[in-house]
Amino acid sequence: MANGNNDKPSVKQQRDARRQEKVAALKKQQERAKRNRLIGIVTGSVAGLAVIGIVVAFVVTSGQPRENPRDIVVEGAQTFSDLTANHVTGPVDYAQTPPAGGDHNQIWLNCGVYTEPVPNENAVHDLEHGAVWFTYDPAQVSEAEIEELRDFAPSTYAVVSPYEGLDSPMYVSAWGAQLPFANVTDDEEAVSDFVTKYWKSGDAPEPGAPCTGGVDGAGKIA
Amino acid sequence: MTDADRGGTGAGVVDPTRASRGRRIRFVVAAALSIALVLLIGIAVGRLSSPNPVTPGTESVEAGFSRDMQVHHEQAVRMAMIVRDRTDDPATRSMAYDMALTQSQQAGQMFAWLELWGVPQAPSEPTMTWMSRPTLDGSYGDHEHTPSGGAGGSATPVATHEPGGPMPGLATDEQLAALEAASGVEAERMFLTLMIAHHRGGVEMADAVLARSENRQVRVFATGMVQSQESEIDAMEDMLAERE
Repeated sequence: MANGNNDKPSVKQQRDARRQEKVAALKKQQERAKRNRLIGIVTGSVAGLAVIGIVVAFVVTSGQPRENPRDIVVEGAQTFSDLTANHVTGPVDYAQTPPAGGDHNQIWLNCGVYTEPVPNENAVHDLEHGAVWFTYDPAQVSEAEIEELRDFAPSTYAVVSPYEGLDSPMYVSAWGAQLPFANVTDDEEAVSDFVTKYWKSGDAPEPGAPCTGGVDGAGKIA
Repeated sequence: MTDADRGGTGAGVVDPTRASRGRRIRFVVAAALSIALVLLIGIAVGRLSSPNPVTPGTESVEAGFSRDMQVHHEQAVRMAMIVRDRTDDPATRSMAYDMALTQSQQAGQMFAWLELWGVPQAPSEPTMTWMSRPTLDGSYGDHEHTPSGGAGGSATPVATHEPGGPMPGLATDEQLAALEAASGVEAERMFLTLMIAHHRGGVEMADAVLARSENRQVRVFATGMVQSQESEIDAMEDMLAERE
């Protein structure tokens, strides 16, 4: 019995040993969990930073947000489709006043600023070439407003001219589109949108065709 | 004791099926995140390192150049067409023919770029603003920092410009009217003088875009423009000398 007692660990000793094993295993497991958590945190942070960096790089290199001119909706503008574009020699009875496209004279009007009304048939040819045509009714606008309009108009591919009997103080027309407005200060947003969308537009029948080398109207000052 | 034992096992292994399920979920999440991250990095590296990383926006140097150079070219076409009507000299007429068609075609290229980039032909800021933007090497471009044309007389290799200012080399309305009124050798001389200045301005603008853009199409175009216009300047100077 005594021998047996000495050779074999007592029940208590066995229990202690087992407990120590368990404690060691538990500690090891806790350490492993701790290490895993640390690895997780580090990789997580690195990945998070990488994602942020990539997003920033994309934003920085993506330039300005673009708005295709074809997606612009011009407040108050009207559009006209199915316009004919024949060259004719006589006067044309246009569906719109002022005209916004249609048959026209074979000679185009030289773009620029006019103090006298210009012939519709020549001016419509400019619209076909991608120009915009600003018209004002002299009876409804002030000299200051006319001056503002002349400053506002693009220096090429634009005609500015008086047009008597309009139902709005001013109009801007392009091939197949037109916008009535009061003046360029009060209606700046709509008029700017119109120019952005239609000036030299690829939707004109012959964009980039000349707006010089045609015929001058009376009273051309610029 | 049995309680303590159970407690021990409970704390250590809990319930083996639940633990392994947790591990599996964590593994799947980690794998998914890794794949997403690798994909994202791949896309980023591909896009950010490609030669044309971004389609030029409406206020880009490329779009500004394409708009202003169209206007510049349109005037060259106009001058060439005028002189063809004002002289019978075959050398001047064929040179003008060449310039008108070349620059008309080039204006069309720039028009088409703007169309393809989905930006308006109309500028949203004053003309020539793009030439006041910083250059690629960042050394130049902000017009506040340009050498004040001082005593150094530093040969400015890169052009800069005031936003809204006139384009370099553009003829005035009065000069164009004078050209339209002239004829014969007088018209030829006037044309050559105006067009030499016009070409120099064009080269200045092309150099300015080369200093500011990495866009391949634009760079090829501007490089060709500089070469051909410089050689035309030489030819026009010879022609002008013959007519003095």
